[in-house]
Amino acid sequence: MSTIAAPNAGTHPVRAWSGVPVLLGVLVLAFLLHIAVGAKQLSLGTVIEALFSFDQTVFDHVIVRNLRLPRAVLAVIVGASLSLAGALMQGVTRNPLADPALLGLTSGAAFAVVIATSVLGLTSMIFIPWIAMLGALGAALVVYIIARLVPGGATPLSLTLSGAAISAFLSAVISVIHLLDQDTFENLRVWLTGGLAGRDITLLLYVGPPIALALIGGVLLAPRVTVLAMGDEVAQGLGVKTGALKVQLLAVVVVLTACSVALAGPLGFIGLVIPHVVRLYVGSDYRWIVPYAALAGAVYLLGVDTIARIAIPPREISTGIITAMIGAPLFVQLVRRRTR
Amino acid sequence: MSAPAHHWVFRSKSEGIALRLPVRALVALALLTLVLLLTCCVSLATGTYGVALNEVIDTLRGLSISRAIDNVVWEFRFPRTLAAALVGAMMALSGAALQNTTRNGLADPSLVGVSQGAALAVVTLTVVFPAVSGALRPWAAFAGAILVALAIQGLSHTRQGGSAIRFILMGIGLSTFISSITSALMTYGDIDRAMAALSWLAGSINAASWSDVWTLGIWCAVLLPALLAISRSSSATRMGEATAVSLGVRTRLIRNLQLGIAVALAAIATSVVGPLGFVGLIAPHAARRIAPAGIGLNLLITAMVGAVLVSLADLVGRAAFAPIQIPAGLLTALIGVPLFIVLMVRSRSTASH
Repeated sequence: MSTIAAPNAGTHPVRAWSGVPVLLGVLVLAFLLHIAVGAKQLSLGTVIEALFSFDQTVFDHVIVRNLRLPRAVLAVIVGASLSLAGALMQGVTRNPLADPALLGLTSGAAFAVVIATSVLGLTSMIFIPWIAMLGALGAALVVYIIARLVPGGATPLSLTLSGAAISAFLSAVISVIHLLDQDTFENLRVWLTGGLAGRDITLLLYVGPPIALALIGGVLLAPRVTVLAMGDEVAQGLGVKTGALKVQLLAVVVVLTACSVALAGPLGFIGLVIPHVVRLYVGSDYRWIVPYAALAGAVYLLGVDTIARIAIPPREISTGIITAMIGAPLFVQLVRRRTR
Repeated sequence: MSAPAHHWVFRSKSEGIALRLPVRALVALALLTLVLLLTCCVSLATGTYGVALNEVIDTLRGLSISRAIDNVVWEFRFPRTLAAALVGAMMALSGAALQNTTRNGLADPSLVGVSQGAALAVVTLTVVFPAVSGALRPWAAFAGAILVALAIQGLSHTRQGGSAIRFILMGIGLSTFISSITSALMTYGDIDRAMAALSWLAGSINAASWSDVWTLGIWCAVLLPALLAISRSSSATRMGEATAVSLGVRTRLIRNLQLGIAVALAAIATSVVGPLGFVGLIAPHAARRIAPAGIGLNLLITAMVGAVLVSLADLVGRAAFAPIQIPAGLLTALIGVPLFIVLMVRSRSTASH
């Protein structure tokens, strides 16, 4: 795959800018559709009415406000965060296979939350994002260390394989804890399947600020990621302090991943798929990839979640199942095509 | 193979007959058999209905102590214990054969998607066509597993300059994809059947019945000799394609046969107890570590290690936190992943050949 290679000329500004209004339009449309579609079909007009001139006595408005709007907002936030995190990871590690879930970060976050809530008894919502961040950071470090120990160093393949190993291990431990402690685990079980149904929107009060900061930070750091993607030596030659930049980027990625996991449970492959799709349009300049990935990720998760809700009525498929169904074939193809 | 083992060599006076016995391997095999028998006995004695060890032995000898004990031992615990040992042996052999054919020390039926293919087929059968009889399960599992094996063969065939890690990663991607379809099917299906499928998917042996044991036993009796029969030729394949061909081995045929047997073993085992991870990875490596031996004996030791491993995992899983049962599949994963990491780190180079 040459998509990850050193960027040549920058993306043409007109071409890049022209996509933004289109993407924003699609985002708004996907957002409204996501709210309108469901067990009770609502017209787009009703949805807009409910959003802008809310009337408590109209039942449809209550549905929109109380049930569907929170879920749509979650989809936007989680989709944007995960795919932006994926884009940054792919840039920093120059690894087309990088993704918060594939490299074990989401499992780490989920594992930490499970331990904290079921073993240590920390159930207060204030702690959850922070615990998740600790877990994601720990998992990232372990995966990196293991990959470094593999002969040949931390190549994309060895990183991904050690990520898969750590994820498998953590999920086995989670299952054992689950079996041993079924009562307190009942709430966590739904959360662990990775999806947007029935999430607690009040968590957003605690998770929102760090996510917003990290998203802004990610976009601001993006130009330097472009330089970093050309290789450490080049970046240093151009005056970028690579060490400090990498630490900042790691912090952004960890915050975004951990907060997404806290909100929606572990969702895989979003951070892998979206940056690759975005690259097809804007090329290899991270100044554009990063913001585009955030927008496209939001649209993608809205779309996937809409499908999850309407594919097999009256039931609902877990959102994580569909992201895996779409993402895994692309992953296989990326592994297959990559020489070295 | 690794360093020459310590051998005892017997020769008749005229040296017409000579026997060369790898002592360490034979001793290891005997010890493993002993451990397996012990584990089985303890497993038969352990449970909510307490039975003393000597009572178990008496029951097994045919002396009936009481109806209750007879019932518990023969109808509930014995099939489960036997199934655990058989499944372990089959998974271990499948892993060994897979590692041989792909020449990849990291291969395991659950890592390259073979188990997941079998699982998808079985779940499809239970959820979508519940009317179909259970006798078809192993066949469906085999069909699903062989399709995945062919897919992964095809995918890895066109690669330029393959590496062991790449092969496994593609397998992991493929198994994730298949698992997601399985999960979607379970959401779609009737809740009761989905729940039945769910406990099966965790790799639990607790529902094994006598008919399962018969299925496992018959297939094992067919496939194990077949694997042993082609093991001589396949040991030549290990020395490289060219060497094997010049030694008169039909490498393609041998490889395909071996792959077929590996897939069949994993599929049959999976059809009974669900995907049991990492046994096929652990056992062959452990066997090589315990006692270096020729390929035939090595396969036997591998099978024994697998049987002991799964029996122990099943025993610990149901005794450690009784009355809660931890599926054996979870315990094998907990042992298997660290080993997998060690193997990955130890691999001399990432390129297989």
